[in-house]
Amino acid sequence: MGHRRRAAAVNNPSSQRVSGAPAEAVRVPSRKHNICMVSDFFYPNMGGVESHIYQLSQCLIEKGHKVVIATHAYGRRKGIRYLTNGLKVYYLPLQVMYNQSTATTCFHSLPLLRCVFVRERITVVHAHSSFSAMAHDALFHAKTIGLNTIFTDHSLFGFADVSSVLTNKLLTVSLCDTNHIVCVSYTSKENTVLRAALNPEIVSVIPNAVDPTDFTPDPSQRQDNRITIVVISRLVYRKGIDLLGGIIPELCLKHPDLHFLIGGEGPKRIVLEEVREKYQLHDRVRLLGALEHKDVCGVLVQGHIFLNTSLTEAFCMAIVEGASCGLQVVSTRVGGIPEVLPEDLITLCEPTVRSLCAGLETIIARHRSGSVPSPASIHACVQNLYTWRNVAERTEKVYDRVAGEEVLPLHRRLQRLRSHCGPVAGSIFAFVAVLNYLFLLLLQWLVPDRFMDKAVDATGPLGLWKQEQSSKHRALSKSATKKAAEPKISR
Amino acid sequence: MGPDSAPDPAVPWRKVLWERQPFPDNYVDQRFLEELRRNEGIRQYRYWSVVKEAGFVGQQLSCVAIFITLWLYMEQGRLSPETLLWTSLVCALLGYGLYQALTSQVEPGCGPRTRLADLQSATIFLSFTFGFSPVLKTLTESVSTDTVYAMSAMMLLAHLVSFPYAQPSPPGSLSLNAALFASVCLASRLPGALHTFAMLSCALLVFALWPCLLQRLRENAPCQFAGVCLGVCIVGVGGLGFQSPGGAVLLALALMSVTLLCPLLLVRLQRHKDNIQGPWDEAEIHEDLSRFLH
Repeated sequence: MGHRRRAAAVNNPSSQRVSGAPAEAVRVPSRKHNICMVSDFFYPNMGGVESHIYQLSQCLIEKGHKVVIATHAYGRRKGIRYLTNGLKVYYLPLQVMYNQSTATTCFHSLPLLRCVFVRERITVVHAHSSFSAMAHDALFHAKTIGLNTIFTDHSLFGFADVSSVLTNKLLTVSLCDTNHIVCVSYTSKENTVLRAALNPEIVSVIPNAVDPTDFTPDPSQRQDNRITIVVISRLVYRKGIDLLGGIIPELCLKHPDLHFLIGGEGPKRIVLEEVREKYQLHDRVRLLGALEHKDVCGVLVQGHIFLNTSLTEAFCMAIVEGASCGLQVVSTRVGGIPEVLPEDLITLCEPTVRSLCAGLETIIARHRSGSVPSPASIHACVQNLYTWRNVAERTEKVYDRVAGEEVLPLHRRLQRLRSHCGPVAGSIFAFVAVLNYLFLLLLQWLVPDRFMDKAVDATGPLGLWKQEQSSKHRALSKSATKKAAEPKISR
Repeated sequence: MGPDSAPDPAVPWRKVLWERQPFPDNYVDQRFLEELRRNEGIRQYRYWSVVKEAGFVGQQLSCVAIFITLWLYMEQGRLSPETLLWTSLVCALLGYGLYQALTSQVEPGCGPRTRLADLQSATIFLSFTFGFSPVLKTLTESVSTDTVYAMSAMMLLAHLVSFPYAQPSPPGSLSLNAALFASVCLASRLPGALHTFAMLSCALLVFALWPCLLQRLRENAPCQFAGVCLGVCIVGVGGLGFQSPGGAVLLALALMSVTLLCPLLLVRLQRHKDNIQGPWDEAEIHEDLSRFLH
């Protein structure tokens, strides 16, 4: 009862899911899915996860899938909104607890999420970010309802302190019966496999992407009588802003024509302000404050060198954006960063002031001797490395694979929880899963699925949005990804 | 692509993302987790050396017991304040001599403090305590005796918990203050002002000066240190035994578990330690970056 097979009813008949023959289903290439992306983090909040969800959804819509996004209400933004190309977003009225993450009780979000899943005839639930409680809730409910689940992990965690021991246990519980997991780099995969005690075969590595048309070099914006180092990151401890506070005076004393351009906001801004004050560098160190995504490129093109001082990073889109704008990239060798750019485009340093200064000095010396490659040639190297279309293609393969897999029925799910998550936590969460199932039965008795209105599809095989706007869409399809970068929000 | 689509063995897999590789996205190479490091920089403990270090904890526990025993004797009038004062003075002088002897072994004659300065602080402390002892005696008169006892017990416990066992010289401010608070509370329940004075001087000796001497001993004469700790423990148990045999048994059991059982557990459980590190760990900043700011 909790395990529906409603995918096939609205989709391509060839995509009929037959639980007995999963291998066959995988080989059907043109299968279309009804995907629900769930995360606490979405626009108007800004960040890597937000733009990942948005860009991936746009490219999946382009490929003919139906995509809806579920997130929590942001202030007065509640209810349903449509973004570019009919991307439907549900801003659900759930209570935000901390850092834009919702509170989790494992139950209270079930009625709302069930409503979304049933109305939209969802077949695959794709949750994002391990910091998002709503994503974990959605995974839990989707498994109870009997939908296939995918989780994308965007961040790295340690193993040493008490808080990470606790979060890692929760992640183990959340992922032990999830069909497939996506990580953004190989280091992130190793980390997630260890944290959640997973079989590495069900973890795929699909990197993030940047829109190369958004980040194009413009050497005319540079001032040639000086060397400008650009830093764009949130000003927090994890981004190594303390290191930056050591690098600025060290290099500014040595090179009188060196300037720093720092974009971003955060609690560590005070460190940079103190350094600027103490060494009287007001004209050479500019703090731009928080930047909108569309302004980032305008700042990047003014610089010669892009500096990233992060202490931990799963993928680091910022360095790809910097390289795409034709800058020389200097970065710390942490997390997944060494995997991101080829050696000739990046200078990797240890996370110390001395090593970073040495790395920057080499690049500065190369600049003075004029032996650095031109911004246009760097852009040409980078522009095809990471594209959202490629990400969508690879994610689609994961969906195809997952759609052929069986969702564990309740008794096997309980077995899996108890055998995989240890006797104590496993039993507790098995109990919670049973309660969740009973709650679902109650909801299904109160409002049976067949009485729930089906939503009109905006996207996907039966999407109406495309038909209305098809002429416009054709004209713009060339720059579909370009358009995607600027979310237009309409009611 | 599934994991079953066989990769071409001619092209080795590389841990890079910028290159399109002929492997499925969920491919698991043999080099998967090769950068995982386990239990890096772990300390291997040896049982007897841990027992020796735990001896410090044990003797501090005994010191508290000794102090309480002395207070019990005073309260029952079986120990006169004069006897305690004279004994304390002799002990203090002996300890001071020993302390000086141990100091001069390492750095002859370049101590930052002169004997005169030591004498000065001792005089100031003793005269102030003597002058204020009538006040301290009546300080807690309006508080019920039960409350005073409960407070003393809490404070002595706080002293034991917050005592800086790794670096006991000088004794940490929290632990010293807690111990002195407890001694003032207890001393105020004694019959006379001289009793109070004697008790407080004794408290200073036990809680402030004795840890300093013991730390010196641990640094310069490790063999004798173990003996001294054992001696203090025996004195503590023996002294309490005359007052309350049940308490002495409990103290002995506590001392046994702290000095013998806990180290055994530590050494045994060390085998199960599984600490994993890898490239995903957050880098630590080891440099002193405050020099750029100040």
